[in-house]
Amino acid sequence: MLLQMDKITKKYGEFYANREIDFSLDKGEVHAVVGENGAGKTTLMRMLYGMEQPTSGTIRLHGKTIAFNSPLDAIRSGIGMVHQHFMLFPSFTVAENIVIGNEPSKIGTFDRKQAARIVEQLSEKYGMKVDPWAVVGECSPGIQQRVEILKVLYQGAEIIILDEPTGVLTPIEVGELLEAIKQLRKQGKSFIIISHKLHEVLDVADRITVLRDGKVTGMVGKEETDVNHLSRLMVGRELVELEKKPVQRGDKVLEVTDVTLRGNKGKHILDHVSFDVYGGEIVGIAGISGNGQSELLQIIAGLQQADSGRVAVNGTDTKNKNTRQIREQGLAHIPEDRYIWGANRSASVLDTGLMGHHRKLQKGGFLDFKRVRSMVSEWIAKYSIKAGDSLSTTSQYLSGGNLQKLIVARELAQGTPFLIAAEPTRGVDIGAMETIHTELLNKRDSGAGILLVSSELTEILKLSDRILVMYEGKIVGELTAKEATEEKIGLLMAGGA
Amino acid sequence: MNRFNKILSPLLQPLAAILVGLIAGAIAIAIAGGNIVETYSEMWKGAFGGFYFLTNTLARATPIMLIALGVALAFRSGFFNLGSEGQMVIGAITAAVIGLYMPGPGWLVSTAAIIAGAVAGGLWSAMAGFFDYRFRVNLLISTLLLNYVVVLFARYLVSYPLKDRTGSAGLNQTPMLDASVWLPKLFKGMPLHLGFIFAVIAAVLLYILLKRTVMGYEMRMIGGNPLFAVYGGVRRGSMMMTAMLFSGAFAGLAGAAEVLGTQYRYLDGALSSAGYAWTGIMAALLANSHPIGTAVAAIFLAALETGAMGVERNTEVPLEVGDIIQSVLILFISARLTYSFIKRRKGQNTDGTAV
Amino acid sequence: MEQLFDLALLNTAIRVLTPILLAALGGALCARVGLFNVGLEGFMLLGAFAAVVGNHFLQNVFLAVVFAIVVCMLFSLLFAYVSINLRANVIIVGIAMNALAAGVTTFSLRAIFDVKGAFYDSKMVGLPKWNIPIIQDIPVIGQIFSGHSPLVYLAFFCVALIWFYFYRTVSGFRFLASGENPLAASSVGLPVRRYQYGAILVSGALCALAGAQLSLGQVTMFTENMTAGRGFIALVATMLGQSGPLGVMGASFLFGFMDALSIRFQGLALPTQFTDMLPYVVTILAMFFFKDKSFMQEAQKQGTSSR
Repeated sequence: MLLQMDKITKKYGEFYANREIDFSLDKGEVHAVVGENGAGKTTLMRMLYGMEQPTSGTIRLHGKTIAFNSPLDAIRSGIGMVHQHFMLFPSFTVAENIVIGNEPSKIGTFDRKQAARIVEQLSEKYGMKVDPWAVVGECSPGIQQRVEILKVLYQGAEIIILDEPTGVLTPIEVGELLEAIKQLRKQGKSFIIISHKLHEVLDVADRITVLRDGKVTGMVGKEETDVNHLSRLMVGRELVELEKKPVQRGDKVLEVTDVTLRGNKGKHILDHVSFDVYGGEIVGIAGISGNGQSELLQIIAGLQQADSGRVAVNGTDTKNKNTRQIREQGLAHIPEDRYIWGANRSASVLDTGLMGHHRKLQKGGFLDFKRVRSMVSEWIAKYSIKAGDSLSTTSQYLSGGNLQKLIVARELAQGTPFLIAAEPTRGVDIGAMETIHTELLNKRDSGAGILLVSSELTEILKLSDRILVMYEGKIVGELTAKEATEEKIGLLMAGGA
Repeated sequence: MNRFNKILSPLLQPLAAILVGLIAGAIAIAIAGGNIVETYSEMWKGAFGGFYFLTNTLARATPIMLIALGVALAFRSGFFNLGSEGQMVIGAITAAVIGLYMPGPGWLVSTAAIIAGAVAGGLWSAMAGFFDYRFRVNLLISTLLLNYVVVLFARYLVSYPLKDRTGSAGLNQTPMLDASVWLPKLFKGMPLHLGFIFAVIAAVLLYILLKRTVMGYEMRMIGGNPLFAVYGGVRRGSMMMTAMLFSGAFAGLAGAAEVLGTQYRYLDGALSSAGYAWTGIMAALLANSHPIGTAVAAIFLAALETGAMGVERNTEVPLEVGDIIQSVLILFISARLTYSFIKRRKGQNTDGTAV
Repeated sequence: MEQLFDLALLNTAIRVLTPILLAALGGALCARVGLFNVGLEGFMLLGAFAAVVGNHFLQNVFLAVVFAIVVCMLFSLLFAYVSINLRANVIIVGIAMNALAAGVTTFSLRAIFDVKGAFYDSKMVGLPKWNIPIIQDIPVIGQIFSGHSPLVYLAFFCVALIWFYFYRTVSGFRFLASGENPLAASSVGLPVRRYQYGAILVSGALCALAGAQLSLGQVTMFTENMTAGRGFIALVATMLGQSGPLGVMGASFLFGFMDALSIRFQGLALPTQFTDMLPYVVTILAMFFFKDKSFMQEAQKQGTSSR
């Protein structure tokens, strides 16, 4: 056994992130760790990589017990990690990114030509093509990931940990990655893959360990299991199919015509995008993040200007209008990043919930605190938001799921005919997810139109009545809920017909 | 957290910073060869030892309070307005000009001068805000540089067109204002004037504005997370202009009140050398831009300065020992504020966001 | 109009831009590791004062400069500790350091020399004027570039040094990486904090040189607040030059030239206050041409406002 982790436990205060986990890895093996958000996967790997110390338990490498105090120790022992959010330097070249920390040099000066040569050799050896002189910031996520992998290989990694590697890849790039993993495995490298994408895992992994709430719920070989079995181990129950009422289409609530946004390198971020949303339906936009969805939503909400095209919310053109005016036209917005856009960490729960309502709950310029307090308290009761003992608790103490519930409550309470829901359940636990999904469906049933954007295909499939697929700034396909399957959408997401 | 803790713990940090400041002062006093206990007791006497000294301290606190409140408003809204010095000077010179050359009964001229001073300061400040909003000229630096521009311009005015050519003083200053225009003193023979009442009212008004009004809410949100505020419909441009306008108006009012209440003329450099503007900024930082706290901090810092003057008069130690205490204080307040913030953040991470 | 623009003007410009250039290089180093150093003004003032103190007590110009560097680096250490280890808002710490510098210099002026306002010692020897052997004989170039204090030449040398450090050495590459993405840098084991400390300490030393040039370069005296906002102009030069050594040098040329021009204007009929205003007005105007990052980008990077 190359790597052995025995009874690993990690406690933060009273909270068990990992509880007595056993994990092992053979040379030339691909072992996947799967589980929902919050299951403890990343924590486990962080300990292997020296970013955390286990509370108890042992880690043995080549039979010897080891204790890593920093990522450097792990790197020196041949363990390399490719993080979910790439650790790259956008303004530097591919070669510079790969050799950093161990640069070829002549008396202190950086020998960049030699670095390029080294990178070309690595690229050949491992079958991962990259251009050493390309600037990393201008490369696609697929190439960037290759750079990350080459980086850990350059550092001498024998064990490579991949944390949610396919989140930012197109289906074609996913295929290329899985091939690369199989190639590297033949050359004697071992992999630990953290993922919640069960199809991909079943394609490439030899063994799969399932975590739930910090504990191992099962460890199986590839042949012994399937998607249903794994998801049951992950979630503890069968995934529930939600019953959707048939669509009762109302007036047009959103009209997007020919919207274009130019990027700074000539490529269009949005390329003549046109579609409509009607009341009573949920339109889901599927696609890997980074294909223009964020910018499209920002334009609709008034946070950014398009270069050309027209957007109309509830029948009125939004050109040159600011966010307040657009909201008054009847738009509410669950933002895709709750900490950047959706809340003020240092403000109280009351203040965070007040945003967007603050002009309506006033008397002559003064806020009507009685009404505000009762409004927010209602939300807390209705959505079971755990917000500490009072409304003046600071927002940053709310967990991700509870903050998201607060934001969803706030935006739903606007009672607008049109709602943008961007990544509404990102990083949120199962219970909160189900609450939010139920509320979104209720809003749709009450006659409102919802534009849903999510990188989770299952969420799109579950909630949408119509599905649009975005790829490289264009709408490349439209499917009704009935016609849609993962395969069809996946193909469109990759740019195929 | 029980009530007592909630009130006490935010005070703990400023108190600790004050302690560190006093220790630094003690070191400086030792270097200057003074007796620490004696020096500090002279400092206390200089600030509060007797009714005259008390009113003197409060009179000095008046412009500092007004500026500090203006700065607190800007900082709360997320805008680094460091132009209080220039805004104060423009308010002062405007008030002087109105006070000298506007015809009419004393109370009318007085009122007009005060208002004009506030407006001048507000417009000058709003101009910098406009430059940032429209042309992306960094507010922090532009307001700093504009200070120099205004102070030099005012110096020009009192060296040539507005210079007081009567009397043999030869200083660059305007003629003295007629007594009918002066702000009345609050106590006979004591330096404290009506301006102090303005400052107190301003503190209360600012508190109400920030805590209870829609505009105050929008300002606080734009200061806390500007993206969140814009997302929610707050207009950043108009918030910036409004905040800068009010902020500058407070500073302009400070200048006008000094001219009409203490100096009775505009004297080149008088307002700058007294350091009102920078002390005001320090007070806002010390109190983390809380309206009432800022007013109290301003009085505290003014006491430090009048106390230091008492030290200068009665010991061998120079009055700048007060400056040293002030700046060490700020250094440590800015550190402690965020130190306990990280401790809490680390605690948060152990509770569930680690996945 | 020929009186206005002549070689002597350019010579003055070179001399006057030096403090700005030195401080701006320091600002650039700090900016490259993610620290917006508003304290350049205060450090320059400390340097100017320390240089005079050192010169007076050590009776040696060279040692005086070294003394100034030591003093500024000590204060920089404080700045670094509070900003980095105690994680205080670097802008507020910078403001505090400026106040501290003003207070300490004025206090020390009284405590050490027992004077107010300014200290002048006729016996003190200022920085020498170096006449560069071959250059001084070349007709135009010689009059512009020869005859300056050694710190002027040191400043230009620093530009070249920093350029070489950033773009040719391994250490400089890692330094830039630490600023570009501190998280990624520490994940490959780069000592990000060490680079940040280094940047602040070096910028302190550079500001000491800037201050020494001010107080010992032309006249040997220290006046209260003699930096007169040059530290903030240097910050603008840093921004205009996009924190790159060559860009910063170019921006400093612009401001130095304006400063020299304003000194030249003093001879003419305009009241001195207007000529004094020139550098500040020009700097503000220059800021209109610098596309500062929109507040949205800054806010998304830091999660807070930077205005």
